[in-house]
Amino acid sequence: MTPRIANTPATLIIVIAVQSLCAAFYLADLLFDGVMEGWAQVIQGDFFFEAAATLALIAAVVVETRFLMDLLRRKAYLERQVSIAAGAFHDIILDHFSLWGLTPAEQDVAQFTIKGMSITEIAALRGSAEGTVKSHLNAIYRKADVSGRGGLLSLLIEDLMGRPLLAQAPAEQT
Amino acid sequence: MRHHRIWDPFLRVFHWALVAGFVCTALLTAPEGRLHQDLGYVVAALIALRLAWGVFGPRSAKFSVFVPDFAAVMAHLSDIATRRKRVYLGHSPLGALMILNLLASIALIALSGFLMTTSAYAGAKWVESLHETLVVWATGSIAVHVGAVLWESLRTGVNLSRAMITGVKDIPRDANIVP
Ligand code: HEM
Repeated sequence: MTPRIANTPATLIIVIAVQSLCAAFYLADLLFDGVMEGWAQVIQGDFFFEAAATLALIAAVVVETRFLMDLLRRKAYLERQVSIAAGAFHDIILDHFSLWGLTPAEQDVAQFTIKGMSITEIAALRGSAEGTVKSHLNAIYRKADVSGRGGLLSLLIEDLMGRPLLAQAPAEQT
Repeated sequence: MRHHRIWDPFLRVFHWALVAGFVCTALLTAPEGRLHQDLGYVVAALIALRLAWGVFGPRSAKFSVFVPDFAAVMAHLSDIATRRKRVYLGHSPLGALMILNLLASIALIALSGFLMTTSAYAGAKWVESLHETLVVWATGSIAVHVGAVLWESLRTGVNLSRAMITGVKDIPRDANIVP
C-alpha cells in the first residue's frame, strides 16, 4: 500500500508536465501564426477547433494540479500512518473539511488540532505566527459550527462510530 | 526578521549580467549583426564562469548543494499544498530545477548560434530552427522564473528579488529555515 501512495504523485506530475508543454506549444503556435500572418487570416475555420482543444488542455492541467495538491495534502497527513483505520478516519475528516469549505491552510491546522497539538506547536510546525494559527482556528470552529476543539472532535468521532453501525444494521436483520 | 547573507557578489553580478545579456541579445539586436554574435559570446562566457563557480565556488553556489533529489521536490510541493512556510536559505528545489533549465537552454542557444557561424553548419536549416526554438523556450521559461520568484516571495514572506541584489535574505521570525 505504501509504494502506491508514494508513486501516484510522481505519475501525476509527469502527466501535468507533459500536458503543460503541449498546451504551451499550441499557445505559442497560435500566437506566432497570429502575429506572422495577421489575426484575420488565423481566426477562421480550424482556429475555433484548435482554440477549444487548447483551452480543454489547459483546463485539464488546472484540474490535475488541484488533484495533485489534494493528494500531497493527504500524503502529508498519512505519512506516518498507513493503517487502514487511519486512512478511513482521514477520509471522514476530509469529507467534513470539504463540506465546511475549509481552505488548505485551515485544513492543515485542523488536522494538527485533531491530533491534539497546541497552538504553539502548530505555529512552529507550519512556520507561521501564533496569531495566524488562532485566526485559522476561529475560522475552522465558525465554519464547523462548534465552540472549540472538543466540539470538533465529538463531531468527527460521532460520525466515525456511526458509519460502520449503519452499514451493518440491515445485514444483521436478515 | 533574521538576516542571512547568502548570495556572494560574483553570483549576483552574474545574475544581472545574464539578465542584461539575454535581453539585449535576444530582443534588442538584429540576429544577423556583429553585435548579436559578440553579445552571444559574452553570454556564453558568463554561463561558463557560472558552471566553474558551481564546482569551485562557495557553498550556496555549488551544484552539489542545490541540485535537488526527488524527495526534496516533493517536500517543496507538499509545503505549497498545505500552505506551510519553510524557507530555503539557498535555492529552493523547484527553483533549482528552473535554474538548471535556464543555464542549459541558454548554453544551448549560444552553442547553436556559434555553429551557425562555422562553415560546416552555416547553411544547416535545423541548427537555425533549433536556435530559434530554444530562444522561445528560454523566453517562456524566464516568464515562469520571474512569476515563480514573485509568487514564492509572497508565499514565504521573503523578498527573493531583493536578496539577489543585496545578497541578504530577510526571513520572518516564525518561518522554518531549511539550511
Ligand atoms: C533574462 C532573464 C533572467 C534569467 C536568464 C535569469 C536566470 C537566473 C539564474 C541562472 C539564476 C540562478 C542563479 C545562480 O545560482 O547562479 C536565477 C536566480 C534568481 N533570479 Fe533570475 N533570471 C532572469 C530574470 C530575473 C528577474 C527579472 C528577476 C527579478 C524579479 C530574477 C530573480 C531571481 C532570483 C530572486 C533568483 C534567486 C532565486 C532563489 O532565491 O533561489 N531573475 N535567475
